[in-house]
Amino acid sequence: MNAGAGVNRRVRVAVTGLGVKTPAGTHVKQFADTLAEGRSTAATVAEFVDLGLPVTFACRVPEFDPTDYVSLRELRQLDRAAFLAVAAAADAVTDARLERPAVPERVGVTVGIGAGGLTPAELLVQEYGDRPATVPAYTVPRIMANAAAARISLRIGARGSALSYVMACASGATAIGEAMLKIRSGELDVVVAGGTEACVSPVAVSSFARMGAMSRRNDDPAAACRPFDTGRDGFVMGEGAAFLVLERWEHAEARGARVIAELRGYGSNSDAHHIVAPRSDGAVAAACMRLALADAELAPAEIGHVNAHGTGTLYNDLAEARAIVACFGADGPPVTAPKGVLGHSLGAAGAVEAVATLLSAVSGTVPPVANFTTGDGDTALIDVVAGRARQVAPQPALTNSFGFGGHNVSLVFAPC
Amino acid sequence: MERAELAEVVRSRIAQVVGVPVDEIGEGTDLRDEYEMDSLELMEIGTRLENTLGTRISADDLLEMRNVGHCIDLLHRRVQERV
Repeated sequence: MNAGAGVNRRVRVAVTGLGVKTPAGTHVKQFADTLAEGRSTAATVAEFVDLGLPVTFACRVPEFDPTDYVSLRELRQLDRAAFLAVAAAADAVTDARLERPAVPERVGVTVGIGAGGLTPAELLVQEYGDRPATVPAYTVPRIMANAAAARISLRIGARGSALSYVMACASGATAIGEAMLKIRSGELDVVVAGGTEACVSPVAVSSFARMGAMSRRNDDPAAACRPFDTGRDGFVMGEGAAFLVLERWEHAEARGARVIAELRGYGSNSDAHHIVAPRSDGAVAAACMRLALADAELAPAEIGHVNAHGTGTLYNDLAEARAIVACFGADGPPVTAPKGVLGHSLGAAGAVEAVATLLSAVSGTVPPVANFTTGDGDTALIDVVAGRARQVAPQPALTNSFGFGGHNVSLVFAPC
Repeated sequence: MERAELAEVVRSRIAQVVGVPVDEIGEGTDLRDEYEMDSLELMEIGTRLENTLGTRISADDLLEMRNVGHCIDLLHRRVQERV
């Protein structure tokens, strides 16, 4: 059903702050500029080569000084996904000038995370597998899947609910959509919403490689992720975090906040088809996009561009292209797919790409899909932005996130 | 283990958990007053010392200690008792 049905539709939701920690940049301008260039950030990971893994490259967040965000003491208690989340959320809150919320009970947190504690668990077993009795006292707070949500709530003093959503690669988008519903329902005025993931690790990468889901282009990492291109051979592991400050429109206006964009629509449904494979006709994914459009009260023709899930796997891109054609028709809007640049940050991806989508909706600059030259079969039926960024009028845009398990989520952002 | 050697180990493990250079941790340092150390951090220091010294440290011992010097004295006694 329509995710927004039955609640007060007069409540508008403003985006008033953004924060990103991604392979394409650790602040918003750098992130937008790198995406507009359409160049992959994938590179060889020496540790993966040494271990003889089937996949030896990934997209990683460039180093930045952690003490800009947390003390060294706190850093030791944080797993990487939680740390990236805290940093990106802190940036978003600073951007929104909401460091000290007036009514903390009306401020919430929603976090999408896919693999959760998998990578800290991997490190833990590596170091303490043969002597479990000696594990650090910080093991539980480091490894718990809700650590990021809890840390953000602690950091900003948010006393509303702090929720974690586990929807595989649709987690980040879900956290943003559900946050909007909490604002529409009147429960919260402000939600710091986003996603985080840090799965550039030997076991995580090998696990996805075992499924045949990852590109094996080890000799040319930068050419590996090629969404919708005929030469695509799988996704590339990424990592990162992105957070948005979402705010009830009147709340933002009353405190004189700068409104960056409007979050207008949210659709969420399930393929009920296969545990990891998408439905090849894309029919349910198309229905999900229609739900988001209906929620946004927009017609397909009013959408300026689509930010595709576009993982660069054979089957996702085929099914998604069919879904886009089913929803938007043969003359649909331009389609971009930032995973060509960013790799796939799993549970964070929907939030990272929500930021990309709303920035493009506002600026009208739609980034090119890295490495895309030619489509095949159904992927040739959509208008993939290739080579260089395309300038369109600032107008609403739709972003897709599809997760293992058949979870489909679409969000619609609009300039204001 | 001599007390001086033990003192170095204790100070370095505390410095790791608190995230400061070892020079900042003196025998007179009061972890609760100066660093607002919570019980979980105290347990983490205990875990690291147990792993290094190969001796059990009870939670009561940890909660009892007033400052770093007191902690060293206490552990020195425990290590000697074991010998």
